[in-house]
Amino acid sequence: MFELDQRIAEQLTEVALNSSVQVRCGNSNAFMVTASTMVPLMQMFEMGGVYISGSRSAMEMIEAFETIGIDVSNIQFVDLVSSGVLGGTDSTRKNIHFVDSPIMLESILLRALYLLRTTTLERNFVILDSVNALAIYNDDRMLAEYLHTFINTFRQREVLSVILNVPDQTPPLVLSNLDLYCTDLIDRGQVVIH
Amino acid sequence: MQPAAVYTRDRCVTGIHGLDEILRGGIPYGSTVLASGTCGSGKTTLAMEFLVRGALAGEACAHFTATEPSVKLLENIRQFEFFDMNMVDTGLINVFDMDVLYSWLGLEKSSFDLDDVHALIKAIVDIVNTIGVTRLVIDSVTTLCYKIKSEQLIRDFLFTLGKKLSTLGCTTILISEITSATENAHWSSFGVEEAIADGIIVMGDVERMGHLLRFLQVVKMRGTSHSRAKHAIELTPIGVMLTPMLKWGAQGDKQSKWGA
Repeated sequence: MFELDQRIAEQLTEVALNSSVQVRCGNSNAFMVTASTMVPLMQMFEMGGVYISGSRSAMEMIEAFETIGIDVSNIQFVDLVSSGVLGGTDSTRKNIHFVDSPIMLESILLRALYLLRTTTLERNFVILDSVNALAIYNDDRMLAEYLHTFINTFRQREVLSVILNVPDQTPPLVLSNLDLYCTDLIDRGQVVIH
Repeated sequence: MQPAAVYTRDRCVTGIHGLDEILRGGIPYGSTVLASGTCGSGKTTLAMEFLVRGALAGEACAHFTATEPSVKLLENIRQFEFFDMNMVDTGLINVFDMDVLYSWLGLEKSSFDLDDVHALIKAIVDIVNTIGVTRLVIDSVTTLCYKIKSEQLIRDFLFTLGKKLSTLGCTTILISEITSATENAHWSSFGVEEAIADGIIVMGDVERMGHLLRFLQVVKMRGTSHSRAKHAIELTPIGVMLTPMLKWGAQGDKQSKWGA
């Protein structure tokens, strides 16, 4: 049976809506940490929001959540992966929205803002999965600048931002900037040796 | 000691959320603004939102179209969630085909002389005056100016039209098409429109590793301070959305068409 990490839920009780939480995970526990973060936000805090899916396609993520019994039909997914695969965007699910490429960072931000403006819920989150996926495609300086903009944009709008990150796959410049910008850290990552 | 009073001009609040922020409150009333851009950059969408937002606020708006039939244009506006066909039925949004206007005026010819230009200005101003239009879009001024063969006459046309519309309190967006052929020269097709206009909004694409990102940049706007930074835009059902373009990504991986 799939077990959620309850300590993550406990840590989340201490964050405010305008916080930005860096969630560090490793290669092997990425989905468990993601689910352990998302479930309390949805079920304990009754939040809705946007899931930016850059590591795997949105469809794959939704199916993974459904497999462990989590209904994510109220969460809007921004898929950065499928447009790069011919035939990947033929999903009929209304809560999946496609962005052409992880390179179009501003489009990702605008799409998330658009989706948040169309929601009726008062308390929302935006989950960015993940910094290391964006780092594959984007220059370090640009990614560091983007995270600065991203975090401050949502903080200003009182939307909780959750930034998923596998630290040993993230460039040092981006990692140190992330440490600086984020208000909270949930560390389930691996030992980082740079 | 009291601070000195700062004079600020009344604004035509565009309703396009990010744009009003860039313009520190909106376009100064009665301005003639050139919206210049390449094909597909979102000029018509921006202009249509400007009109629909005006209609939502109860203003009478007019759109002169020379690039696509009015029926098709109205179909395209339906993408906006905040658009209601009643705006057209109640006369808040008025769409005119330039071809029909030319026909009314007996201007079905390939080039216009001074008298033709004056007749055209009079017709547009009469429509604005009769309906009480406070927001006007001409799409596109480039198509229209192709019929005016002299640069001086184009200058006179735009200057006189802008002056008369301003007197009537009408804020105008003139859409200008730019092609790569003009990349080293101007923000307008003929080079004179930009000098006459009170404001210039440039729209185009930044290429980043094979992907095109739409951008908008306010180059000039008389009567207000404003941001001159490039902003990335998305065209959504709730309107045009803007965010500052990343500084490390604004250049793209090749020289921008605007020489930025």
